[in-house]
Amino acid sequence: MKITNARHLGSVAEGMMENFTALFGAQADPPPPPTALGFGPGKPPPPPPPPPGGGPGTAPPPTAATAPPGTDKSGAGCGPFYLMRELPGSTELTGSTNLITHYNLEQAYNKFCGKKVKEKLSNFLPDLPGMIDLPGSHDNSSLRSLIEKPPILSSSFNPITGTMLAGFRLHTGPLPEQCRLMHIQPPKKKNKHKHKQSRTQDPVPPETPSDSDHKKKKKKKEEDPERKRKKKEKKKKKNRHSPDHPGMGSSQASSSSSLR
Amino acid sequence: MAEKDHLEEHLEKFVENIRQLGIIVSDFQPSSQAGLNQKLNFIVTGLQDIDKCRQQLHDITVPLEVFEYIDQGRNPQLYTKECLERALAKNEQVKGKIDTMKKFKSLLIQELSKVFPEDMAKYRSIRGEDHPPS
Repeated sequence: MKITNARHLGSVAEGMMENFTALFGAQADPPPPPTALGFGPGKPPPPPPPPPGGGPGTAPPPTAATAPPGTDKSGAGCGPFYLMRELPGSTELTGSTNLITHYNLEQAYNKFCGKKVKEKLSNFLPDLPGMIDLPGSHDNSSLRSLIEKPPILSSSFNPITGTMLAGFRLHTGPLPEQCRLMHIQPPKKKNKHKHKQSRTQDPVPPETPSDSDHKKKKKKKEEDPERKRKKKEKKKKKNRHSPDHPGMGSSQASSSSSLR
Repeated sequence: MAEKDHLEEHLEKFVENIRQLGIIVSDFQPSSQAGLNQKLNFIVTGLQDIDKCRQQLHDITVPLEVFEYIDQGRNPQLYTKECLERALAKNEQVKGKIDTMKKFKSLLIQELSKVFPEDMAKYRSIRGEDHPPS
């Protein structure tokens, strides 16, 4: 038992010495064979490790200095410390500074991240008619398809002549049901400007039942006082926090400012 | 800015023209033919006006990722919001790394000075003000 324990200790000591020599280069002596320490035959002594090419800095004797310290730029082997180089130039702008403050983006940050930004595209473009919240892939109106397959265009836009306009003579009467859906807009919660256009935009055909109209009118009446209260509260908040953006024209102002 | 306002105005007029065209077409009457023809020609002139604006705005670049948001029917301001949030998060992460490395450096110099006082004194004299004594 004593012999096996001693052998184990010997191998452990051997491993530690190998690590030492790796850290400090070839100058350290190779580890003594276990037999010399009286532990038994054990392994044969390992060959001395090769000098490390990319080893960490060591502390060679001061007499090895051949060049003035601190002037070595190439790094390896010269100077008092191995691989000692000049420090890179310190830049003023690093990740330790608040870059948002540095680039004067605090207002933008508060505007986009402080308040809740609405999810839908129709909140960004409230005056745009049609169902714009639908994904572009549904009706083949995606911008990606426009980029990937740009349409082949002629060099100029020519007005439509009289003979060409003959091709646009339409039949009288309402459109079939399939096409009518294109004009229906999703119900808007905010009615800052009473869109008379939106009323004329929904061509309610006489075929639809009158009950739905009454229900819609009733809902509108019920929601109007609540909407007015909410609008007033929002206007007050906006006037307090951002005096640059008045409450009434905020939808248009925000859309125009975002495009800038 | 003025060019952008100009373009926005043209686009709004164009969209309004198309919308009115849709209303005419939804319930067409023979008397509406003249109006229809006028609207069709407005489409052509509208596109001409928009095309003229294009040259003044050729230096504006738009990131492609915004188009992903628009195609999904999402507000493009969310892209700006997410960019700012990511920038701040990365800024904080890098600051943390820098601060940690600084602390490590000072601790390392401290401990090495205990074990190798002469060598570290030499190192500090070489570095000068770059490495203030800890």
